[in-house]
Amino acid sequence: MDNKNPLSPHIQIYSWNISSLISISHRIIGVINIILLTIVCFWIASMLLGSTSYEFIYSILNSFFGKFLVIGITWSFSFQILSEIRHLFWDLGYGFEITTSKISGLIVIFGSFIITILIYILGRQLI
Amino acid sequence: MVNATKKWVFLKISSVILIPLMLWFIINFVSIYDKNFDEVLVFLTKESSKFLLSILMIVAFFFSALSISEIFEDYVHDEKIKNISIKLLYSSAIIIPFLTIIVIFNLDI
Repeated sequence: MDNKNPLSPHIQIYSWNISSLISISHRIIGVINIILLTIVCFWIASMLLGSTSYEFIYSILNSFFGKFLVIGITWSFSFQILSEIRHLFWDLGYGFEITTSKISGLIVIFGSFIITILIYILGRQLI
Repeated sequence: MVNATKKWVFLKISSVILIPLMLWFIINFVSIYDKNFDEVLVFLTKESSKFLLSILMIVAFFFSALSISEIFEDYVHDEKIKNISIKLLYSSAIIIPFLTIIVIFNLDI
């Protein structure tokens, strides 16, 4: 059966505001996260090759780029978690008012950085 | 229940499961990413890690396949390319977690 659903207009026709910024970011980061998780799958699979082969991955993860990558993964996961919670509140019927939607959007943006720092501190047990 | 509703329900259930799993994974990943081979292996071979990582892989790829297929449906105009993309997406969402879980359960100290 042919799909008769209308196609969404492309994003460039909209004027930008917090809701549209979070909406498209949520989609882009969702795609990035599954690519990152695929890299994690390769990282897990690399363990099968033994400790000698792991030296290469060890050196990458311990470099400046490795730390940047890990902090990047932490931020993109944090962003998706908060954005997903925002969507779940919408599904329960809360947060549709324009002001509330703008505030929750700002919470997603700034909260993702705060949660990234908290996760990093917790993971590294810096406190 | 119509297909679109089923898809929405599956998306919501999987996102509720995914949120704590992502938090668990990222906190642990941050704590072990720069450790040596033996220390990483100790983490990956713990029974709890094996179980939670397997669930994370299944649910994350399931959720992503459903949500990314929505993006294809919204923005890919060519029906043929759209259908092939969605089939490739669904196949990789089965194959990648399946192989990863096999690896996880074959890791030994």
